Order: sequence, then structure tokens, then C-alpha cells
Amino acid sequence: MIVKLAWRNIWRNKRRSIITIVSILIAVFLSVSMRSMQLGMYDHMIKSIVASYSGYIQIHANGYMDQQTIDNSIEVNDDLLDSIANINGVNNIINRLQTFSLASSGDLTKGVLIQGVEIEKENLLVDWTTRLDTGVFFSNNNSDVILSKGVASYLQKGVGDTIIFIGMGYHGMSAAGMYKICGIVDMKNPKINNLTVFMSLQNAQEYLSAPNIVTHIIIDKEVKIDERKLSSSIKKELDNNQYEVMDWRELLPELEQTIKADNVGGLIMVFILYMIITFGIFGTVLMMTQERFYEFGVMISIGMKKLKLIKIVLLETITLSLIGVILGIFAALPIMYYFNIHPIKLASEQAEAMEKFGFEPIIPMSTNLEIPLTHAALIFCISLIISIYPVITILKLDTIKAMKN
Amino acid sequence: MKKIVFLFLLLCYNISSFSQTASEIITKSDDKMRGETSYSEIIISAVRPKWSKDMKLVNWTKGSDYSVSLVKSPAKEKGTVFLKRKAEVWNNIPSIERNIKLPPSMMMQGWMGTDLTNDDMVKQSSIVVDYSHNIIGSETIQDLDCWKIELIPIEDAPVVWGKIIMWIDKSDYIQMKAEFYDEDGFLINKLLSYNIKNFDGKKLPSKMEFIPVEKKGQKTIIEYLVWKFGVTIPDKYFTSQYMKRLK
Repeated sequence: MIVKLAWRNIWRNKRRSIITIVSILIAVFLSVSMRSMQLGMYDHMIKSIVASYSGYIQIHANGYMDQQTIDNSIEVNDDLLDSIANINGVNNIINRLQTFSLASSGDLTKGVLIQGVEIEKENLLVDWTTRLDTGVFFSNNNSDVILSKGVASYLQKGVGDTIIFIGMGYHGMSAAGMYKICGIVDMKNPKINNLTVFMSLQNAQEYLSAPNIVTHIIIDKEVKIDERKLSSSIKKELDNNQYEVMDWRELLPELEQTIKADNVGGLIMVFILYMIITFGIFGTVLMMTQERFYEFGVMISIGMKKLKLIKIVLLETITLSLIGVILGIFAALPIMYYFNIHPIKLASEQAEAMEKFGFEPIIPMSTNLEIPLTHAALIFCISLIISIYPVITILKLDTIKAMKN
Repeated sequence: MKKIVFLFLLLCYNISSFSQTASEIITKSDDKMRGETSYSEIIISAVRPKWSKDMKLVNWTKGSDYSVSLVKSPAKEKGTVFLKRKAEVWNNIPSIERNIKLPPSMMMQGWMGTDLTNDDMVKQSSIVVDYSHNIIGSETIQDLDCWKIELIPIEDAPVVWGKIIMWIDKSDYIQMKAEFYDEDGFLINKLLSYNIKNFDGKKLPSKMEFIPVEKKGQKTIIEYLVWKFGVTIPDKYFTSQYMKRLK
């Protein structure tokens, strides 16, 4: 009986109901697409820096982060690598050996970061061939090096030229060597581009007189595993006095802070949007209630219990909000998926700014279903809170006054 | 003014009552370590809390201005040459086929992974020229009666220390111990000598320990295997052109 009455009430004044539904629909649609765009951008930022370069999780010798010297390093053996590989969620293990040295060619010298990498494993993180500007990759057994773009242009060297490195090796050994440049890479990150030189891990170990020594073990996780959970299970497996395990939040605090700050800005925007929406919905409910003042008065005076009337009104609001919320989600979903596959490409200046930070200038939308669900739930709650107004009105209703109006 | 001169003379008189002035002692000791020319074979060990590294070197010196050192082992560093010509330091690294003139900015850097700096290699003579010397007492170090001499850098001297205290053996002028203080008076480095041996007619320590006080568990040990004086060394040994041919 109550349900039937509520249903009929909704469709009795179609225009009023449609206005309410549409205002809720727009609210859900706007907040969902805004958040999905923002969160999608963060995912993209994390992916382009973390997944392709620093890795979600890194293992170093304990204390390496504070004192990054070659003497603070890990001696790898099969036992260690196996025990890490056996942890649930670890996809790949990539070893790197990095240290600072002086690079010299002719009269020019520059401090560079020498990275010994296992190129075939690095290719699993990200396809390096897309980064190669000119030349070819080194193989494991030759002693060629790859320069990043900025280093090559500073030293004015190209493929086929020779470069000299001088530095401090492992355990006080001096390190010096001449190497042929076999390629130049663009790492899409100005910090890396202006500093780094790549050579094979074996070659770097030889240069530094550091057999079997690495400074970084990069963990490539399985996509669905949460990096924080994985990092704590790695911590459990390893001797914490000997190793330090860090996830990207600790490794790149500036990235996390950027995201956090931007996210707060986004939340403020959403909050403002919610305020507007709340008053929008409240306006329609207010109108609706005022319109039906006379009707309420008649109903109560002919013997309808106030409680029953409240139930009917509440049911109406719930139904209207539900319809609005569901329609809003269905309106937002195709857009989310479309822009996830065909991300928004930024143009000109904005694109340049993003490229400077090392990101591809695109904004893909996130397809995380949590976003529509949370925002739908929030807006549903807001409309429920707003429906307190007609409830109060009914409770306070003076039948004679109401009918006189 | 006359008063000051008088006081100064009085002071000099007082010092000479030790029979020798502090400056004479330092000069004698310094000359003894160096000789007119010298040839030595040494082992330098850098000791660190977790590891240590031994290097074998051959050195030729001529006066205080010229010296050249050739690394014999470890294999990877073999053939590396350090040449000192007055205030210049040259480094030849065979693996990159280059002579490098060490810039002033690299002087305070560690020398081949030891606690010695490049500057320690060059500025050895300055204990005579760059400091004023003062005997502040006598102490016994390893059963040898020693003068305790305070070295204060003279104004404008290009030195890094605020003060050096040296213990020099009274009979053979051996530098038994030295303490290096910074400008704020904190002890930074200690140098200790052991195992006095007879090298080519001179009594000299065959083992020296260089200890950076603030770095726990770190030291550098220099051990002399051969030490000859008055040898004839061709002048070409101290030229940068000859560095890569030095054997």
C-alpha cells in the first residue's frame, strides 16, 4: 500500500520527479568523471615513473638510502635471489649497480651516475627500444656504454666515440676505464637524462672491481598485488639488519607528496561540487514539499497517520535518488572506459610541462569501480539527509493552516 | 718596541737552553726522513671496519720537491703512477692511457682509498717552513725519550691544520707520534710510528699508522720494506712524459 502510493506520487507530477532525478544524475556524473580523471592521472604518473624506472619496491643494503656509496652494497647469490623470487607476488627481480664517477672526453668532464643494468630484464619493466634515440644496445659481454641524451650533448659525443670514466671502486679500489659509446637513449625524464650512463651489469662490476655486487634489487610485482603488502612480506623474509626494503612511497616521497597535494585540491573541488549539488537537490525537495502542503493537510485531516505519510515521502525520495544515482553511474561508465582506452592528449605548453616531469602528456581516466560506487553512495546519503526536511515539515504540520493556504 | 725585541731575545735564549731550538729539531727530523734522494718499497694498507686493502708501492724521492710513486699491486691498479713536482701532482692511469694533473679541488680527497689525502702527499715539507715550532715538554713514547713539540701554522701558510703536536725522539730524531688538530682545537688525525729499524745506516720506523680519530675502526698502515738513501735517480723519472714508462 505504502509502496504503491509512493510510486504513484512519483509519477503523478512527472516534471518534478524528472528534475530531481536529473539533478542527482548530474551530480553523480560530474563527481565521478572528475575523480576518475584525477585518479587516472595519478595512476599514469606512478606508472610512468615507478613501474618503468624505480620499480614499486627496491631492496638495498641497510643504510644505503642515507649513504649511497658502492661500499654500502649487496653481494648477490642464487640463494638470496631465489628466496626473494619465491615470495608470492614477485614477478621479476632486476639487479642494478650504480655509482657516481667522473666522465671525461677531450677537455670536458662531468659527474655522471653510472648504472650497471641487466638490459634483457629491464626490458620486462619497460620496452627500452622505444627509448633508444640512436645506436644499438650493448650486449652482456662487450664493454660498450649507452649515454643518456643530456650527458651525450654535454660531452659532445655520439655513437662510436670513446668516453673515459674515473671514480672510486669497491672497497677502496680505484676505478678507471675507456669505453665505446654504442647508443644514446632518451629516458623521458630530465633528471635521468642529464646524469646517467648505462652499461651492462657485468661491465660495471668489472669497472668498479666489484664482482657479484649490486646496489639495487628492483622488484617487479604482479599487477594485482598491493606493493605495501608485498614489501612487508619481503621484509619478513630478509634479514633487516642487512637489507632495507622500500616501496616507491619511501623512494620517491616527492612524487607521493605531489599526488597528495593535488589530491587534496581535487577533494576540495569535489566538496564544492557537492555543496552545489546538495543545495540543488534541496531546492527541488523544498519546492516539492511546499507544493504538496495542501495535499499533506488534506491527507492528515481525513485520518492518515503522520508516520505513514512520512514513510511514503521517504520512500519517494529514496526511489528518486536511487534512480538518479544508477542513471548517473551508467552515464559516467562509458565515458570512463572510453577515455581510459583513448586518453585525453594534452597539447602545446601543458604537454611540454608534463614531459619535463618525465610523463607522457596524456590523461587516461581511471576505470576503478570504487570511484562511481563511493560517489554514488555519498550522493545517495546526501539526498537521504535532505529528505529530513519534508519529514520535519510533516511532523510540524498544522492541518488547518495547511489547508487554508 | 725595544722591550718586545728584548723579550723576544730572552725567549730565544730560553729555548736555546734546551741546547737546540724546536725548529732545528723539526728540520733535522724532516731531513732524516727524506734525505737528498731516496728509494723505498712500501705496503700501504687501508683498514676499514668491514674490509681492508693492501697496496704495494715503489717510491723515488729527490729533496722535498720531487717524488714519484709506482703502484705494483693489486693487479687492477698496477702501473698507476703518482708524480709530485713542487706543488703539482700528476697521476697516470694506464687503463685510460692518460696523465691527469690533479686540480686543487681534488687535494683533500682520499688517496687511492686510504685515509691519506692527495694533499698529504704533496705538503710534506711544510712542517719546516709553514709552522712556528715550540718545545712544550718531554715525554716517553715506546721507551724512547721524546721532545714534545707544538707546531702552530704561521700566518698565511696554506695549511689545513690549526695545530700539530709532534713527539720526536731525542737521540735519533724519529717522529714517534703526531697529533693533528683542526682550527677549533679538535683532534682529527693521529700518526704513530713503530718497529724502529736500521735502514741504510739510519734508524727509522718501519711501520706507521695513520688514524682518523673520528672514524671508528679506520686506519691506514704504511710499512717500509726497503728504504735506501743517496741513490742516484735520473732526472727524467720526475717528468710527466716518463710516467707511463716507469717500471
